[in-house]
Amino acid sequence: MAEMQTAESGGKKKGGKVRGKKMSTRVDLTPMVDLGFLLITFFMLTTTLAKPQIMPVVMPEKDVDKEDLVETKESQVLTLLLGGGDKVYYYEGITDAKLDSTDYSAEGLRKVILSKKDKVNAQFGEKEIDDPKNPGGKKNISKMNVIIKPTKDAVYKNLVDAFDEMKICNVALYVLLDISKQEEDFIKNPAAGLKFSVDDQVEAQQTK
Amino acid sequence: MPKHKPKRGSPSIDMTAMCDVAFLLLTFFMLTAKAKPQEQVVIDTPSSISETKLPDAGTLTILVGPDGNVFLDMAGQHTRKSLIDDVNSRFQMGLTEEDKVKFSNAGSFGVSRSRLKQYLETEPSQRAKFPSTGIPIDTADVNKSELADWIHNARLAQFRMKQEGKVKDEYVMVVKADKDTPYPAIQKVINTLIDINVNKFNLITDSEADPNKKDAIKGKAEEK
Repeated sequence: MAEMQTAESGGKKKGGKVRGKKMSTRVDLTPMVDLGFLLITFFMLTTTLAKPQIMPVVMPEKDVDKEDLVETKESQVLTLLLGGGDKVYYYEGITDAKLDSTDYSAEGLRKVILSKKDKVNAQFGEKEIDDPKNPGGKKNISKMNVIIKPTKDAVYKNLVDAFDEMKICNVALYVLLDISKQEEDFIKNPAAGLKFSVDDQVEAQQTK
Repeated sequence: MPKHKPKRGSPSIDMTAMCDVAFLLLTFFMLTAKAKPQEQVVIDTPSSISETKLPDAGTLTILVGPDGNVFLDMAGQHTRKSLIDDVNSRFQMGLTEEDKVKFSNAGSFGVSRSRLKQYLETEPSQRAKFPSTGIPIDTADVNKSELADWIHNARLAQFRMKQEGKVKDEYVMVVKADKDTPYPAIQKVINTLIDINVNKFNLITDSEADPNKKDAIKGKAEEK
């Protein structure tokens, strides 16, 4: 491909007249173009990747009046306790709660949430709310409430995974709360049962 | 039948135009690319399916390292200057004008107020080796928490700059934590944010495929 023509030196010296060598002015630009596009690709990829993804989080306000709290049926509540070693403990409701555990895989936590959601939807139906993305429009959301409470053994990844699952399963009502002493004991000794009441929960939220 | 021989053209094409275009684009991307400021901690963020991009407005980033140390980074030189003026006069940190300029140009920092002067007087290239222990958080009393004070006043400084017309938007709060950061460290940061009435913030994540969408594509393929 190279077009830099090297004039042959042999057989040109004739008659003593030295003619100026006529060289082609064309230079092969292919490698230069290659390099140029390689660098373009590099800069394009690094600039677009530099803008990270974000996950918006809205936390409840700290001092909420007791009157402003909305009551929820116990059977609509699923509590996830994020444990250490990528384990999730969960229980439904509060009274006579049974502790169970699973992991963050699609077959684990997602199934738990979706089956609970189906159960809640079948029993209570869906709730119609104003669609925030579409003014004037309505959309249906499940009445299921998920409470996420990471233990002190959990890592940040577990929290993000749990939030992700909420999004994947279309859970509209979920909240991140601090874990209570009673729930920590419940994980250690599930047989003893959960000594936690609705009032304790309200109390824990307000004293924060 | 005579054998038809295809005409053999010259295999070389004039690359000049292509080369021009390539380098024009190269120059464009190089000029628009922002240099990534040096960060004090290496943070490997967890992945999520969220597709929201970080907005262009100035960000106030709280970095939480894998060991739970908290660092702060805020955009905007004017805001940083205004902030450090304010903090310096309130706590008598004895920073010189030179230190303040250094602060407004520095990236993230994770030292207590008492050691900030020492930190700023370290050469920027040596700062990565500076024993940063994170910004202290007092969970019991929000008024004593240095992190709460920094965040609160940085937001106020940004607000002042907005009124002066030096910046367009107020800060977007961003939390960037490592996937192995223990939860209690995150909890402290989140509780600090709630204490100073920052109830909306963003978690930085890597992208990950959305299983719902993957299923949708698969479903479509199966329909066909």
